[in-house]
Amino acid sequence: MKSITLGQFYPSDSILHRLDPRMKVILAVLYIVATFLCKNVLSFALLLLSAIVLILISKIPMKLVLGGIKAILFIMAFTALINVFFTKGETPIVEWRFIHIYAEGLWQALFMIVRITVLIVGTSMLLTYTTTPIMLTDALEQLLAPLRVLHIPVHEFAMMMTIALRFIPTLVEETNKIMSAQKARGADFTSGSLISRAKALIPILIPLFVSAFRRADELATAMECRCYHGGAGRTRMTILHYSPKDFVALAVIVVFGAGIIVLNRLGIGYTM
Amino acid sequence: MSKITLENISYVYSPGTPFEMHALEGINLNIRENAITGLIGHTGSGKSTLVQLLNGLTRPTSGRVLLDGKDIWQEPKKIKQVRFRVGLVMQYPEYQLFEETVRADIAFGPKNMGLSAQEIAERVSEAALLTGLDESLLDHSPFDLSGGQKRRVAIAGVIAMRPEVLVLDEPAAGLDPRGRDTILNMLRDYQQKTGATVMIVSHSMEDMARFCDDIIVLAHGKLVMQGRGHEVFARSRELSDVGLNIPEISRLCLMLRERGIPMDDGIFTVEQAEQCLLRLLESREQRTEGYV
Repeated sequence: MKSITLGQFYPSDSILHRLDPRMKVILAVLYIVATFLCKNVLSFALLLLSAIVLILISKIPMKLVLGGIKAILFIMAFTALINVFFTKGETPIVEWRFIHIYAEGLWQALFMIVRITVLIVGTSMLLTYTTTPIMLTDALEQLLAPLRVLHIPVHEFAMMMTIALRFIPTLVEETNKIMSAQKARGADFTSGSLISRAKALIPILIPLFVSAFRRADELATAMECRCYHGGAGRTRMTILHYSPKDFVALAVIVVFGAGIIVLNRLGIGYTM
Repeated sequence: MSKITLENISYVYSPGTPFEMHALEGINLNIRENAITGLIGHTGSGKSTLVQLLNGLTRPTSGRVLLDGKDIWQEPKKIKQVRFRVGLVMQYPEYQLFEETVRADIAFGPKNMGLSAQEIAERVSEAALLTGLDESLLDHSPFDLSGGQKRRVAIAGVIAMRPEVLVLDEPAAGLDPRGRDTILNMLRDYQQKTGATVMIVSHSMEDMARFCDDIIVLAHGKLVMQGRGHEVFARSRELSDVGLNIPEISRLCLMLRERGIPMDDGIFTVEQAEQCLLRLLESREQRTEGYV
């Protein structure tokens, strides 16, 4: 319950925090595209460098970022192993019975690890660590606004997302409290068979659902009291404006993408 | 005789991270047997952290918790037994109710103790009686009851384990004055009937002054005072120095003293103030009579 730091806003006053959230969403999309453009050692090195630069300019402690990566260590290890054992190539390193490991497989595994790491670090630096959830949904709502033409209730989806994000920490706290209360009455969640453990969850889940419904009810009333009636004709308290630094950031990422394409062309070492 | 002793207790939240927080530092205290102890402190003073150490819900970062002189963490696997001996009622306990009937909810604790059906039924009736719940309520759904009744059901759920020590975190929070008095009176009756050791956490000086024998004062994770109620309230000036509101009536007496009226030290109920004032009035009348 304590290790959900990945994707949590970290307050600071870096340039990344001050960029327009809409631009940050666009930048994140472009950055993801860039990670998939990488094909050889040079471009992956540039990619890794860019992730480090992002962390440095975001002013977020390196320790926190690395702690967040820990959560996906298993997925990375799994991907790496699959790549090591199942990539066929021309330069074998180990050949023993059914195990064939090629140099290409090792390169492939290394590239995948770098790609996944940078993907996570890059998007969390550009979005979740440096943008409050409210700003993020605001940005998404505005970027997706054109879909309204297709009768998709963009505002309502954004509002639902905002509320869901808002209540995650509240519900986590609530769960911890209820667990403590039931433990104080001798409930045991950690021993016994699978069935008895599943049964032990009932005393947590029922109070949790009851309180979630109660909260939802109260929230709905509070919103109605403030005359909330959906997105139509609703004005905003904070109006987002693009500033020159947003376009500078866009230019930087375009140049970065171009750099990766150029480095791909140099064709040094193994190419994916 | 001390029922629970805390030896040099410290508790740190998320140590080694940027969010590290020292909730408790070097706490030494004794909780007296067969008495009601009040734990007072501001929000964030470490009260709730401290009570969760008493029944082993959390383990102190350093220091020892002694129950009847034995370290409760001596055998971590048997910590459940400690939780049955030290019953903890958390803040807003009505949100932990989950069973279909009040009876079944009160029986949850005893059932976890592995008691026989007959023994459980006995304990449920006893706990209902002690908390003033009518027998007819026992077959209702706990979700149909009023707020005050729900809270009593939750307290009954802990009392049904017959704990040697009953710890309650803000048992009167969010109730109206009458509901508050009902709960606190009930706890005092419970203590007298069963002879259990009771600890009540609160930030209301008035309530603590009226209902507790001993008082412990916490501020910023440190122990400020501990002792009998009158001893603690006698140091009302120190209490206001750490930013705690002393009972209104004690403050009034303090102000009267500052204006030259020789009120006694350590007054914390209206009755005491009344008696003291009457005494002063009497002696003054005697003096004026002497002049005539």
